[in-house]
Amino acid sequence: MANKMAVATAAADAAPARIDPVRLELVKNAIGSVVDEMVLTVVRIAYSSIMKDTMDMSSAFCDRKGRLIAQGLSLPLHLGSIPDAMDAVLAEYGDTLVPGDIVVLNDPYQGGMHLPDIFMFQPIFVEDHLLGYGVLVAHHNDMGGRVPGSSAADSTEVFQEGLQIPILKLYDRGVPNTTLLKILARNVRVPDTVLGDLYAQEAACRIAERGMHELAVRYGVEEIERCFDALLDYSEREARRTIASIPDGVYTYTDYLDDDGIHPNEPVEVKVTLRIKGEELVADLTGTSPQVRGAINSTLSFAKSAIYFAIRAIMFSDAPNNAGFMRPIRVEAPEGCLFNPVRPGAVAARGVSGFRLIDATFGALAQAVPQRPRAAGEGGTTSYSIGGYTADGRFVLFREALMGAWGGGYRREGVDGVANPAANISNAPIEVIENTAPIRIERYELVCDSGGAGTWRGGLSVSRQLRFLGERATFQLRSDRRQHPPFGLFGGSSGKPSNTELEEKNGWRQLPTKFTQSLGKNQAFRHFTAGGGGYGDPLQRDPQALLHDVRNGKVSIEAAHRDYRTVIVRSPWRIDEEATRALCEQSAGGSR
Amino acid sequence: MSGEHPLRVGVDIGGTFTDIVFVMADGTLHKRKVPSTPADYSTAIIEGISAFCAEHGIAASRIAEVQHATTVATNAILERKGARTALLTTEGFRDVLELRRIRIPMSYDLDWQKPLPLVEREWRIEVRERLDAQGKVLTELDPRALEPVIDSLRAGDIEAVAVCLLHSYRNPQHEITVVDLLRERLPSVYVSASHYVLPEMLEFERTSTTVVNAYVAPLIARYLTALRARLEELGTKAPLLVMQSNGGLISATVAAQRPVTIIESGPAAGVVAALRLARDCGYPDVLTLDMGGTTTKASIIEQGEILRATEYEVGSAVSISSRLMRGNGYVLRIPVIDISEVGAGGGSIAAIDSGGSLRVGPRSAGASPGPACYRQGNEFPTVTDANLVVGYLNSDSLAGGSIPISRELAEVAVQMHVAEPSGLSLLEAAHGIHLVANSNMVRAIKSVSVERGRDPAEFVLMVFGGAGPIHAAGVARELGIKRVMVPPAPGVFSAFGLLRADVEQHAARTILTSSSDLDLAALNAVFAQMRAELTGILVDEGYTADAVSVTAHVDMRYRGQSSEITVSLQQFPVTEAEVRLAEQRFEEEFERTYGHRGQSKAFELVTARLIASVARHADASGGWADDRPVTGAAAQRSLYFGQDHGQVSTPVIGRADLTPQPRSGPLVVHEYDTSVIVPPGCSASLDSHGNIVIDVHYG
Repeated sequence: MANKMAVATAAADAAPARIDPVRLELVKNAIGSVVDEMVLTVVRIAYSSIMKDTMDMSSAFCDRKGRLIAQGLSLPLHLGSIPDAMDAVLAEYGDTLVPGDIVVLNDPYQGGMHLPDIFMFQPIFVEDHLLGYGVLVAHHNDMGGRVPGSSAADSTEVFQEGLQIPILKLYDRGVPNTTLLKILARNVRVPDTVLGDLYAQEAACRIAERGMHELAVRYGVEEIERCFDALLDYSEREARRTIASIPDGVYTYTDYLDDDGIHPNEPVEVKVTLRIKGEELVADLTGTSPQVRGAINSTLSFAKSAIYFAIRAIMFSDAPNNAGFMRPIRVEAPEGCLFNPVRPGAVAARGVSGFRLIDATFGALAQAVPQRPRAAGEGGTTSYSIGGYTADGRFVLFREALMGAWGGGYRREGVDGVANPAANISNAPIEVIENTAPIRIERYELVCDSGGAGTWRGGLSVSRQLRFLGERATFQLRSDRRQHPPFGLFGGSSGKPSNTELEEKNGWRQLPTKFTQSLGKNQAFRHFTAGGGGYGDPLQRDPQALLHDVRNGKVSIEAAHRDYRTVIVRSPWRIDEEATRALCEQSAGGSR
Repeated sequence: MSGEHPLRVGVDIGGTFTDIVFVMADGTLHKRKVPSTPADYSTAIIEGISAFCAEHGIAASRIAEVQHATTVATNAILERKGARTALLTTEGFRDVLELRRIRIPMSYDLDWQKPLPLVEREWRIEVRERLDAQGKVLTELDPRALEPVIDSLRAGDIEAVAVCLLHSYRNPQHEITVVDLLRERLPSVYVSASHYVLPEMLEFERTSTTVVNAYVAPLIARYLTALRARLEELGTKAPLLVMQSNGGLISATVAAQRPVTIIESGPAAGVVAALRLARDCGYPDVLTLDMGGTTTKASIIEQGEILRATEYEVGSAVSISSRLMRGNGYVLRIPVIDISEVGAGGGSIAAIDSGGSLRVGPRSAGASPGPACYRQGNEFPTVTDANLVVGYLNSDSLAGGSIPISRELAEVAVQMHVAEPSGLSLLEAAHGIHLVANSNMVRAIKSVSVERGRDPAEFVLMVFGGAGPIHAAGVARELGIKRVMVPPAPGVFSAFGLLRADVEQHAARTILTSSSDLDLAALNAVFAQMRAELTGILVDEGYTADAVSVTAHVDMRYRGQSSEITVSLQQFPVTEAEVRLAEQRFEEEFERTYGHRGQSKAFELVTARLIASVARHADASGGWADDRPVTGAAAQRSLYFGQDHGQVSTPVIGRADLTPQPRSGPLVVHEYDTSVIVPPGCSASLDSHGNIVIDVHYG
């Protein structure tokens, strides 16, 4: 029996590290607790809501070779970002970093993803020995540039998007780089917040230093480094087992983004081809649109994150997210395409492309393993920012992300009004918003009939109606899934498309999916996220589940009639069996 | 409420056992463990009490007070057996309850489903009205518009209604109008208003708390009324007090009005017991570890005070203690003892996972079928089985030998499911399970200490619950803790805690104002109002106003940040100077928690808090009367302490064999309901309070 594991590891290239299963679990727990504590530290002490409440950040520990050993509780869409950023730092500094150094970057073309995400690295030493790096990447509220929040989808060059920070030392042997800090403070709209949040990142790196140092002292450097190898092998085994469970073959899926933020009616193609052979998987993005003018270009590191996420989500294991997990997965994207842009392409709103790549990857996986993925969800966060002035002249930057819905899946109902699984963030409390910003939320609710019909209905989307009470504001919004709604699977319908409307004198006017424009005093807008796709033939839906939906105003009586061929009546709520039978016969006859 | 207290009774209902502790007039303590009766929990209570009274020839009329902790409310939520409940809320916001905070508890889990809201959409009814953030009316409430709502509530056989309108914490008038009308028109329906349950900002948390309150209220009221009646049948009219999640007692009458406060009453009682003991023994800083069959709970006592949290979730499946993993249960924003919980208990199942790592929990064999050694059909190895294999437990260790157990079945389970797949020896495998269970418990302790910026090494670890003393020394070593205390009768510690608690009432109000241009008169008015309200409740309960003491706190933050720290206010009425002192306390605590101070010196006061209490705790100086010496234990037992020490023939002694003079491990202290393991490198002694003190030696 003892060689069961040996067989499993023989497929790996590296010789398996000999660590017994007890120590493996103990060290795995201990490192996991260090990287989680990094995130908790930021959540506790950061200033901005995007770090505290939406937790748009990730923590990690990388070993001395720069290999990702563990990643903390954090944004799944950062999964692939840290290895590439780490490589860039090693390419810049090699092994010249010393205790007291801290390195930062945000340049999307040198290890970063988009400018608001500042990566921070702190080398961790045990006496003279470099053990590895504590890493924390976090999304800052503003990084300067033409639009408050630095996330506009309608920029056309990275230069418009804000301050670019090449790989630089924020601390050199413990001495702060005041030049960098001054330039940063001068270039962002909310310097107190950005510097406070940067401090939170430093505190998290110190947590990593303390925690990993303790572990190294307890187990000894040599042993703890053998554990790193063992942890990489462990996650690699789990990834290989998952891939091996997918039938060999080539699976292609093409999904679309509505537009690039500049050309309103030109869809952007997102094509993924999965080539699965044995325990290895290649995700080939050839065929995806070339780099676009708008700011939805995505770095390759972000595209990798999307693919890793999709694979991780169908894995039967909670193995640590580390470089071992990534070993049997290769992501290829031709240079100059949407997922591998070249300078100076704009990238601020790349999130939407990452979300679409996840959807497309699930679409491809559904062909191979139909029972594992769900139908498409809302398609990613709708993010918006309002940078404006209150009546007394105070600048207020308000930003939040709206979500969302999960698609139906095999024997799984869609989930109504929920975070995207790849961007697990919180909503902003209405009463807090109204107490702190010149904003009133007028409605926040689920949208009836927005979930795609199916045996397992797609989740309902969310709408938010908001009125600006300040003097004047720049209003920027990024959404998608209006022309290309979330797809259903195996006979399930698409979810309802998203929409954004602005209140004007004579009613509501539709706005584009992505825009920057002004918002006047007492002007309102409302946004509807897209609904989740359904899974399976709607006519196979359990009538009691449908009745439950109708009673609860999640599916209308009309939609039950139209999409599910079921007649539901109220007072008391019930299914009119006879009328339903007649309806089914009639439509069966009609279709032949 | 003064006078003779011939007999006081503490009752803690758990899933498996109901623990009852009696304090006699002379301060001696007696304990009873009787099987719980889930069909009607009061049955076990009444039977346990009457058996004890009969045995000791005491008339039930001599019972002066009954203090109670119950899981009835928690079970109602877990089993969704609460009242048929409706929610009335502001137009446009009926889905706030279901949308929650949007976040999901686990990344990468596509099988996740949101917990079904306790009030489904059909019964979440919108009321046309609106206040702004200052409490100013934007849209008037028209009571006539409620008529059809009242009709439909009646037609729908609704038993309880939660009313939560936006910004009601600023101005409750609309809620009051709605509530008054509902109470008048639907007198048999329980009505709960959010400004009464939780007058604090945060619409989802306030709605959720109010809904839970309404959902469990009718059931709790029935339960407490029935228990009251059965106690009277037994011959006592003694007051019935119930433990709240915050560690204070309230009368059954008040508990029935605001049942949301008593949901985590059992675990809270254990921490109160720990607090009293820590104060008696002169330890200001204590971590508690309460290990049961399916989970282990940790909490922190600092400078002689329990630390509280403002929010938690009830009804979530426990797998990890971290605060980030929220979203699987129902949010309650009420003052609660900060307790973190991990899914690692005696019944947690161990296995080698497909990647080759040894995992313990969160799957649990629970009390039934229980560990493999229980012979009830579970073949998977649990933590208890592993402890049996390494010799930490033996066949008389479980409930004094009353549960027949099979060491052989434990060995087979560990051998088949852990030793063979991993190539470890039987002993190494079992010891590994023990160590991994320890590391899971370490996470619970870190969650209440390290995550708050506290170093556990500076604390004493107080351990209770049946299985805790087996793991305590190992857990302490993982955290650098130097001293472990095992109190007498650790298996009924929570029931004992009930007898040592004070009566407490808590109130809180959102004030949200900056500390620099603070309106002191308004702040003092808020405190005075809360004080009058709480004192009024206690006076109604029969306590004199003189007996009531109050403490005030305020939640502060740096302006622009959203995490608050609760600091005490020591002077009334609050003066300018006291506000400056509060700022200092805030900054000191901030630095302790986060390692730095904020750059700005602009502070905000977010929530004003007041606690009114009446000292009630019983004198328990008489010690435990019926700690019979345990018999049948061998004088020596072979214990395995890992590769460094191997198998060691270890003396098995009783608590009474220990003296103030430390005795070096390895040792097993054999007790009625547990074993205390003193590993090599540790020593054990007995202090003057009857605690076993284990010192963990380093270096």
